[in-house]
Amino acid sequence: MKIFKADFDCPPWFSSSAKKLIKRILDPNPLTRITVAEIIENEWFKKGYIPPRFERADVSLDDVDAIFNESRDSRNLVEQCEEGSAVPATMNAFELISTSQGLNLSSLFEKQMGLVKRETRFTSKCPANEIISKIEKTAMPMGFGVKKNNYKMKLLGEKTGRKGHLAVTTEIFQVAPSLFMVELRKSEGDTLEFHKFYNNLSTGLKDIVWTTTDRGKVEEKDGDPFVPNSPKSAFTPKSENSLKNSSKALICITEAIVPKEATSEQQKAKGRMHTKCL
Amino acid sequence: SVNEVEALYELFKKLSSSIIDDGLIHKEELQLALFHTPIGSNLFLDRVFDLFDEKRNGVIEFEEFVHALNVFHPCAPLEDKIDFAFRLYDLRQTGFIEREEVKQMVIAILMESEMNLSDDLLEEIIDKTFDDADADKDGKINKEEWKAFVLRNPNLLRNMTLPHLKSVMNSYFQYCTPNLVFLIDPLALSYL
Repeated sequence: MKIFKADFDCPPWFSSSAKKLIKRILDPNPLTRITVAEIIENEWFKKGYIPPRFERADVSLDDVDAIFNESRDSRNLVEQCEEGSAVPATMNAFELISTSQGLNLSSLFEKQMGLVKRETRFTSKCPANEIISKIEKTAMPMGFGVKKNNYKMKLLGEKTGRKGHLAVTTEIFQVAPSLFMVELRKSEGDTLEFHKFYNNLSTGLKDIVWTTTDRGKVEEKDGDPFVPNSPKSAFTPKSENSLKNSSKALICITEAIVPKEATSEQQKAKGRMHTKCL
Repeated sequence: SVNEVEALYELFKKLSSSIIDDGLIHKEELQLALFHTPIGSNLFLDRVFDLFDEKRNGVIEFEEFVHALNVFHPCAPLEDKIDFAFRLYDLRQTGFIEREEVKQMVIAILMESEMNLSDDLLEEIIDKTFDDADADKDGKINKEEWKAFVLRNPNLLRNMTLPHLKSVMNSYFQYCTPNLVFLIDPLALSYL
């Protein structure tokens, strides 16, 4: 073979320094062949070269997927990749803002003009670890394998659906102390099945989901529960109105929520409600 | 190919005829497409519509539609995406993203997602964000600060890329070349 004898030609437009380097790389003798360290030091190579930056090796869930997919086993696998001493990623104001439907133009391309989305969110006031274990405990009996990495989870359905296995990625973000946002994204499979899965899952997650417009439930602020000129009422009508499904006609705007435990009894007894119909 | 170009135009036709069939996208039609209902209003929808409506004539024409979508292509330069996002969030178009504007937007998203927070928590979220983003501590975020902030938090631009665009209309936008020359030629539109 020609290459074993270093019998090759470089195209005429190659610079002489390029040719020289290539010759040294394609040296059939491993003892005289240029080393990687030397290549990096080569003048021609160095021109315009930006050395790669190796970041801390985060375990990517793609790797985890590969392992998962290769397993022919339909056993529910639960593995923890890293013992989390880490905390959930914080969601800053702009990340929060970018979750708006008005800023997600991918729905322009949705084939169905329906309400079925590829991702969904809920908030919770439970500690992040509790959220994770609750999701895990609910998803597993539904026939989903769970793969965890810090505050990210991958749920993989055992059954093959219309478009293959349903795979859901879950991520937990901290919005404020003791307030977390849980994001669920369909990464593979049929969107309708994802929708169904989420409906079933959220029934099982009722205990940890934090709902504020929950039929008149209100928590009392220290002092006067009714503050007519709170900063919230200062925003312009445009930002005040938000888009609601046509099925929701009434929105309850509750006054400040105090992040302390209050039993529902207390809330019902003491709570006063400032209601605004939009 | 012609088919791919038509696909983009088909999308435009679908959107622009959903309520008023006049070959133009009205705000209600964009709202319908994004929120599945034409009723109500949303701060972010307003911003998106305004940025698409370059001529400021209250409707989005095909040319404007394509021009704005250009930025969302996976191969569009990051610079353009960063710039578009900045203009989106600069509500009063002062060239700065002021704290008041951020507060207004956070309140809007909390309402949209039906979350209620105490003012303290709200301020805390904004404080933390400004600590991170506002390098010169002047209470507002300028373009340079925004750029640096986004480069530290790349998932802030997650919604500035639409992977769909790659498959739907590759030939309509300039291909991803190493030089990333990325324009839409208005003349090309004339043959449609």
